[in-house]
Amino acid sequence: MKNKWVKLWIAAFLAPTIAVLCLFYLIPILTVLVTGFTDWNGMSKPVFVGFDNYVKLISYDNTFLISMKNLFLWSLIAATAHVGFGTLVAFVLYKKRFGWRLVRGAFMIPMVISSAAWAMIYNLIFNDEYGLINNGVRKLGFGNFHVSWFYESPAAFFAITLTWLFYAVYVTLIVYNDLMAIPKEVHEAALLDGASEWQVTRFINIPLVKNAIATGIILSVTARIAGFEEVALTSRGGPGNDTYNITLMLYDGIVNYQHGYANSAATIMILLGMLVMVIINRAFKMNERTY
Amino acid sequence: MKVRVREIPERIFSYGVMLFTFLISIFPLVWVVVSSFKTNKEILSNPFSIPKTLDFQVYSDVFTQYNFLSYFKNSLIVAVTATLIAVFIYSLAGYIFGKFDFRGKNFLFVLCTITLLVPGYSRAQPIFALINKLGLYNTKTGLILVYTSFGMALALFILRLSFASIPRDFDEAAIIDGAGFWRIFWNVNLPLAKSGMVTAGVLMFIQAWNEYFYALVLTADEANRTLPVAVQFFNEAFSYNYTRLFAALTLVILPGIIIYLLVQEQVQNSVASSGVKG
Repeated sequence: MKNKWVKLWIAAFLAPTIAVLCLFYLIPILTVLVTGFTDWNGMSKPVFVGFDNYVKLISYDNTFLISMKNLFLWSLIAATAHVGFGTLVAFVLYKKRFGWRLVRGAFMIPMVISSAAWAMIYNLIFNDEYGLINNGVRKLGFGNFHVSWFYESPAAFFAITLTWLFYAVYVTLIVYNDLMAIPKEVHEAALLDGASEWQVTRFINIPLVKNAIATGIILSVTARIAGFEEVALTSRGGPGNDTYNITLMLYDGIVNYQHGYANSAATIMILLGMLVMVIINRAFKMNERTY
Repeated sequence: MKVRVREIPERIFSYGVMLFTFLISIFPLVWVVVSSFKTNKEILSNPFSIPKTLDFQVYSDVFTQYNFLSYFKNSLIVAVTATLIAVFIYSLAGYIFGKFDFRGKNFLFVLCTITLLVPGYSRAQPIFALINKLGLYNTKTGLILVYTSFGMALALFILRLSFASIPRDFDEAAIIDGAGFWRIFWNVNLPLAKSGMVTAGVLMFIQAWNEYFYALVLTADEANRTLPVAVQFFNEAFSYNYTRLFAALTLVILPGIIIYLLVQEQVQNSVASSGVKG
């Protein structure tokens, strides 16, 4: 085959992917960054307004600030309790106790069903009349227990948190994968030296899965930045705007034809995503080799 | 024996964590399925009770009324088409990334895969505008296009690896036999990359089947609405008929679970490996 033909084939094979990359990623991201500085309804010509949209985000009402506060708290919970639980499950599964495969398989299921359906299911679980939580508490002897979880503050915040708090299977799988990659000899040598089971976990296993945990934190915080269903289908940001988040603001902006404004919120999302990457990379020194 | 005694608290703890994990994952779903067989009265009087009879009538009701079948068909058409197109075009690119060298290759690959780190919904407005401009608002084609773009980074990770691990000896043998570029790809490499394609395909199908945000933004009526969006309307449509609400939810979650159970290993492996590299 002539070299020129190969080059043409390569170009042809890459063309569809490059088209997707440009149309759905590069151009949109550029559009977001630029039109965030414009007044634009999506149809007429965008008008450059400088930082007006960003000023409006902060000063129009407190929805943006509340969204940021919620994001901060949810990210904190995600990076600690959520990732912590996923990591714990990985370490427990690593012991390969009876039934570990079944547990791993089951843990995956909430990830493969629609998060819209999942949010609806939690809506029902927290229902005061026929939901599991309130009826369970009432059965335990607190006959007068009535909380309208998604309609009261601060209950709504916690109820939304519970829809994702324990479902950290991707963290579990990543950490588990790294645990399996640790050479058996390392453990054998440590045990021969008289290290206890706990010491092996604390001083060998945890440091060696550091990168996996950091990846888990990045993924889980990014998921919080882009969280939508768990709020839109439960409290819809309420009561008031207590449980609002940026994606909900972005959605409102799009359907209300405030596209410039929506894209300023989207810009904040992109910047926050990058910020999280940089912070976690620094904190965990992810570029250093572990062994 | 001494060691054994020392192990007991650790064992209790481990099994406790395993049981808790199992229950929080399964119990909400079992509750939904079981409740769909209960009458409205049974649901309201005791959410923990077991249904007295196994009556499938409600399922045929949900299917025949409320256009459930139409939502179901839309979801299936959109998810299957998007998955097939995506696996095909990313296999083409994955083959090049895995087996050929050209200037700027690494840059292009990094550019493609770094998109994984941009929060998905942040591109919503430009994608909304693009679909509108193409005249594809409120069409299945529009959704198919968007979903095809979704799994790009993940699919390229998986497929590049699959193609790179196919020995070059096969290609050389095929060249000697006089095979052209396309035949080497289609007849020699593609069959050997099957497991990678299945893995990528399963992930993309699940993603497309479950997607809610773009389906909500890009469709306007039930002719093109998919199941996840329909879920929202069940709440209003089945006002106070909880049996039907639970049955509808069961029908929404079941296909994903069935597909997952069929290809469990692949899904787990791909989540683990893509996470590490992502």
